[in-house]
Amino acid sequence: MFEKERIEEIERRRKEWEEGVLKRTLEKFGMKVSPNRVYTPADVKDFDFLEKVGFPGEYPFTTSEYPSNLPALRIRGGVSAVLVRAARYSGYGAPEDTRDYYNHMREALGRRGGPNIAFDLPTQCGYDSDDLVARGEVGKVGVTVDTLRDFEVIYEAFVGDNDLDKIASNWTINAPCNIILAMYLALAEKRGIPIDRLRGTPQNDILKEFVARGTYIFPARPSMRMIRDTITYCTEHMPLMNSISICGYHMREAGAIPIQMVAFTLCNAMAYVQLGVDAGLDVDTFMRRFTFLVWSTGMDFFKEIARARAARRIWAKIMRERFGAEDPRSWMLRGAGGVGVPTHTLTLQRPLNNVTRNVIIGIGNALSGGVPTGGVPYDEPLGLGHSLEAEQLSIDAGRILQFEAKLGDVIDPLAGSYYVEHLTDRAEEEIWDIIQRIDAMGGAVAAIESGYMQREIARGAYEYQRQVEMGERVIVGVNRFTGEQELEVLTHRLVEHPYDPKKRAEAEERQLKNLAQVKGARDNGQVQATLKRLKEEAGDEKANLIPPILEAVKAYASVGEMCNVLREVFGEYQAYNVTA
Amino acid sequence: MELVEKMLSGSDLSLARLITLVEREAAEVPRIMSLIYPHLGNAYLVGVTGPPGGGKSTLVDRLTAVMRAKGFSVGIIAADPTSPFSGGAVLGDRIRMQQHYLDKGVFIRSMATRGSAGGLPRAARGVIKLLDAYGKDFVVVETVGVGQTELDIMEATDTTVVVLVPEAGDTIQTMKAGLLEIADIFVVNKADREGADYLAVELEQMLRMSPKDSGWQPPILTTQAIHDIGIQELYQEIERHRDVLQETGQLSLKRQEQRKREFIQNIEQGIRATILKLAEKDGQLVSFLERVEKGELDPYSASMEILSNRTLLQTWLSELEKEG
Amino acid sequence: MTEEKRIRMLMAKPGLDGHDRGARVLTLGLRDEGMEVIYTGLRQSPDKIAQAAIQEDVDVVGMSCLSGAHNYLFPAVLEKLRESGAEDVLVIGGGIIPKEDIPFLQEKGVSAVFGPGTPIKEIADYIRENVKRKA
Repeated sequence: MFEKERIEEIERRRKEWEEGVLKRTLEKFGMKVSPNRVYTPADVKDFDFLEKVGFPGEYPFTTSEYPSNLPALRIRGGVSAVLVRAARYSGYGAPEDTRDYYNHMREALGRRGGPNIAFDLPTQCGYDSDDLVARGEVGKVGVTVDTLRDFEVIYEAFVGDNDLDKIASNWTINAPCNIILAMYLALAEKRGIPIDRLRGTPQNDILKEFVARGTYIFPARPSMRMIRDTITYCTEHMPLMNSISICGYHMREAGAIPIQMVAFTLCNAMAYVQLGVDAGLDVDTFMRRFTFLVWSTGMDFFKEIARARAARRIWAKIMRERFGAEDPRSWMLRGAGGVGVPTHTLTLQRPLNNVTRNVIIGIGNALSGGVPTGGVPYDEPLGLGHSLEAEQLSIDAGRILQFEAKLGDVIDPLAGSYYVEHLTDRAEEEIWDIIQRIDAMGGAVAAIESGYMQREIARGAYEYQRQVEMGERVIVGVNRFTGEQELEVLTHRLVEHPYDPKKRAEAEERQLKNLAQVKGARDNGQVQATLKRLKEEAGDEKANLIPPILEAVKAYASVGEMCNVLREVFGEYQAYNVTA
Repeated sequence: MELVEKMLSGSDLSLARLITLVEREAAEVPRIMSLIYPHLGNAYLVGVTGPPGGGKSTLVDRLTAVMRAKGFSVGIIAADPTSPFSGGAVLGDRIRMQQHYLDKGVFIRSMATRGSAGGLPRAARGVIKLLDAYGKDFVVVETVGVGQTELDIMEATDTTVVVLVPEAGDTIQTMKAGLLEIADIFVVNKADREGADYLAVELEQMLRMSPKDSGWQPPILTTQAIHDIGIQELYQEIERHRDVLQETGQLSLKRQEQRKREFIQNIEQGIRATILKLAEKDGQLVSFLERVEKGELDPYSASMEILSNRTLLQTWLSELEKEG
Repeated sequence: MTEEKRIRMLMAKPGLDGHDRGARVLTLGLRDEGMEVIYTGLRQSPDKIAQAAIQEDVDVVGMSCLSGAHNYLFPAVLEKLRESGAEDVLVIGGGIIPKEDIPFLQEKGVSAVFGPGTPIKEIADYIRENVKRKA
């Protein structure tokens, strides 16, 4: 973009400036090194707009996934769509409790659309509520689901105008994903809804569970085979169902540094794409149903923006060049958005500062091809539920950024900035370095089996903590500037929490009864027969397990029973000593 | 001693606390050892060593499962290095052995290397004895090691298994001699990886070039511990090695050797401790020491002078008696 | 010649919660504070934690739980330790523990609860001062 002579001229002038006016100023203040840096065209010598940036929604997607952010910014009921969708990740207690919650949200708060279901840990880890290891966990971090009966109860909240062919469902489920998917299929069948009309997104990203989130069941390879089954089944039977939502978020929260988050995520994603390719599917067909979860972000403003831009560019290149995808839709990080959401960045100390942090990240999102967001309510780290003030601040912050500051008006306004383009190039290089390292190990699965990603993340988390404790990383009100104005932030006017604590506390007991009832009423001979078939098919690596799982689900076999059969064939994942 | 009695009658907790005393090299250790002595000699001792990242813990886990399936009880010592900076350690091998946590027939103890020069903690020999006395049929000792320092584990156990991975090709070049000396069985783990066959061939050539004269040629096994492949074969080779050691009388010879070494070592340690103590208060010794330190007297003539000075030795011996 | 007393700790993740950032960081941090830390990994039942604590003869058991199941899991571990005669082990907890649950946990024998962001040094000092089995 710049002529060689021009660059040389800039470099010459820069030297003059450094040795002239800058040096004199520094001397005046008794400093040797300037606290600021300056970027010039010399830092982006080979910058080429079409090659490095391009147009929104076009290769190399540096700017944004979509040609326009209009759909996300469209106003519904006074708030943009992105804000309506927020805070819907929910589910608790027994299935009845969650059903009542969804009904309440619709009736009292006018929420529309399908649920984004949080499951409890026993369900996520493939144990029934009556399993010994489930004690104390039933219905805690999400709703408990043992059998199809429980799914039927939850979805009693979605009938008529909200029936399965009219809504999209999200399930934060990974290891037993195909069981949950089969429950949805069985439910649709019972309601007479053709499965090709079903829309939804299961998380189904098992690799990051091994690395960061921990709800794994089977070893890596059979786990990947189950995901291959999802991809194949969805591609063949459910054109509207996403097969996977690939996450970097959890790895960052667990301690990955920003470029590691991107590199690990893209390596995991490549492993999933390879599953589809190896299964003989057309990459442009199944990629349409791959999505990515938003990133987790930190406060290093420009670096996070550069990292988000670089991620899109790398992925586009990988899909086009490595996998030979031809449809531009296959080249994009569908759903990843801008810099992402903060959570590990918010502090318990001086929680009001989280308002500022949220706004900065909201701006970061708007400047990195995403939409302006208001972040998480500032009092979240207090763990007391949200105050009305905090919730309003968070929603209005997004509105102010969009309507007053007009941050939604231009997409990727930092494109062409010497500094940001330089940072983007550097982030791209660093991310490629990690990707190549993992390639050399044999890809993401091998890197996870050897504990590489896990160790790196454990190290990152420890390094972060060390930097905070040593004061090398400044967090205002936490390790610097403390003790000057410590206000006790009072949050009296709490948003009424729609979860009933009493119901939650009693959920385990009630669910044990529910499960016992199902086990007593079903045809146990049929259950055994379907489990036997599931076991046989599991032993055949080529078989797709969704049909036999569906049979077992319809016979009201439980999540735990199905997973136990699969454990017998697959074994269980053994954690790596990540701290060595 | 009450702890020993309780341990011998099957208390895990007492065994654990005795191990702590041994690990701390507490004053009670000689007494503990003499009390458990009549109960020793029943366990078969297996050492598992090799460079880090070889999947040793998983291998030990699976091997233990095979031993348990045959009805044997197992004691496991899993050693990890002490941090030279803080003196602390992360002991993480246990994490790979979860299937045995609630099995009364398996006792797992993690040890840091503490002051030891190699991978085997100094106190490990004592801990092996406690596990033996506790009635374990097998005691498996896992250490991290890459060569000569692993002579320790060879001396402390009956069969030494050296675990390598395909990527270890380069390391082997540098540790050839040490490896050959210590390994009774070679395992190439993670054998599904590239280079496994090559490594096995390389090891074979190495062995062919320097055959052992003990009547036992170390076999080279390929395993995939994580997939439970090759573990039965490993167990069989351990058994076969034990049979050979027994038939040829080498096992009892080895045990004799161990007992002798320990006897001498214990006396050595006792005398050494006494001399060090005397070096603080005995006037004559102190004056010798000072002159040696200053370089006025060479250490050789000084020690010869002391060792030939009867009256001096006599006084020290009587000191020793008082101390003892 | 007696080896000086080294504090041995068992770092445990009871229940099904998979968030182990805190447990991992503390494991490394306490190693650097000179302790020997045995990390159990995820998904430990109270039985397994107690059994490991006994075999390893640790001075401290640290448990981290972010799933809300602490009120069942922590006391269950203490109960198992008591049953096995290891009531002299110091037990501390961490994770997302609501303030109002702390008195209950203390009554059950959890001697201290540390929230997110507690400096490692503070936890290390607490352990050193409160270990019950002095050498």
